[in-house]
Amino acid sequence: MFKDLDPILHSQLRLAVMSLLMSVKEAEFTFLREKTNATAGNLSVQIQKLKDAGYIDVLKQFKDNYPQTMCKVTPTGIKAFDQYVKNLQAYLTK
Amino acid sequence: MEEKDLTEKESLQIIQQMIETAKHEQKDDGKGWIAWGWTLFAISILTYFNIQFGWFDVAFFWNAFGVLCGVYFLFFLLKILFTTKAQRVRTYTKDIFDRLNVGFFIFLILIIVSINVGVPPNKGFMLLIGLYGFFVLIYGTALDFRPSIIGAYVSWAIAFAGLFIDQFIHPGPLNNLPEDAVRAVGLERFQWVMLFHALAVLCGYIIPGHIAYKEFKKIKKGDIVSSV
Repeated sequence: MFKDLDPILHSQLRLAVMSLLMSVKEAEFTFLREKTNATAGNLSVQIQKLKDAGYIDVLKQFKDNYPQTMCKVTPTGIKAFDQYVKNLQAYLTK
Repeated sequence: MEEKDLTEKESLQIIQQMIETAKHEQKDDGKGWIAWGWTLFAISILTYFNIQFGWFDVAFFWNAFGVLCGVYFLFFLLKILFTTKAQRVRTYTKDIFDRLNVGFFIFLILIIVSINVGVPPNKGFMLLIGLYGFFVLIYGTALDFRPSIIGAYVSWAIAFAGLFIDQFIHPGPLNNLPEDAVRAVGLERFQWVMLFHALAVLCGYIIPGHIAYKEFKKIKKGDIVSSV
């Protein structure tokens, strides 16, 4: 019997964002937008969903008078991502 | 970008693609190594010819370099204190390198001061080369960059060999020689130290730096994610 894949992570853009954040310490919104080729609006919505799920922390601040949004994966996010990858491997090896 | 149902394989592809993209972000462009390496190389060679032709005091080029480094360090310090540059992405390796750089320069200064308070320059320079090797080994290991790892071992081999320059260049006691001859032997040995230093810098910094720069340019060219 295979476990269901986490619906929060099982989405193209959210999975891409989580994968990027798993590989770095923290990243700015513009970096994520550039690397995923997503629109700002869509990315904002998906980041908010990840934040609501407790998978990422979002820090909004000002640097040199410009707004800066930094995203960082949380321990809950790391655990969920690990589980997602394990479940994915179970599906692929069936 | 439109959301669509993902298959398991597509999920895995996205994860792989994004991790690869993030890995590229941690790549070094090698420019720092190239600039630092060629500068040290040039000073070593200039010092060699300075001794050969007697243009200035023996340590002239190293002293000038020290002054320039001091000015640059002040400028760098002021820049850090008075400007805040927004970082787009912070990686674990970058954080390690920031701290490692501080440690490297403190140790570098320690060796330079040691040379100025009594450690023989011929031995002191070999310790410097040893430090270069240690630095590039950590760098190469953290970034999984083989040319730097090889460069580190080559640097150490040069440093070890360099410790025995005195045994190969005019071996034996110099007590019986006149003062001028002793000085000439000392200078000749120091010329060899400079050649060893230049070679170590070439293997440890310059060659890996140019390889890193070439790889970085290649990665940046193809680093555009077309569909996520």
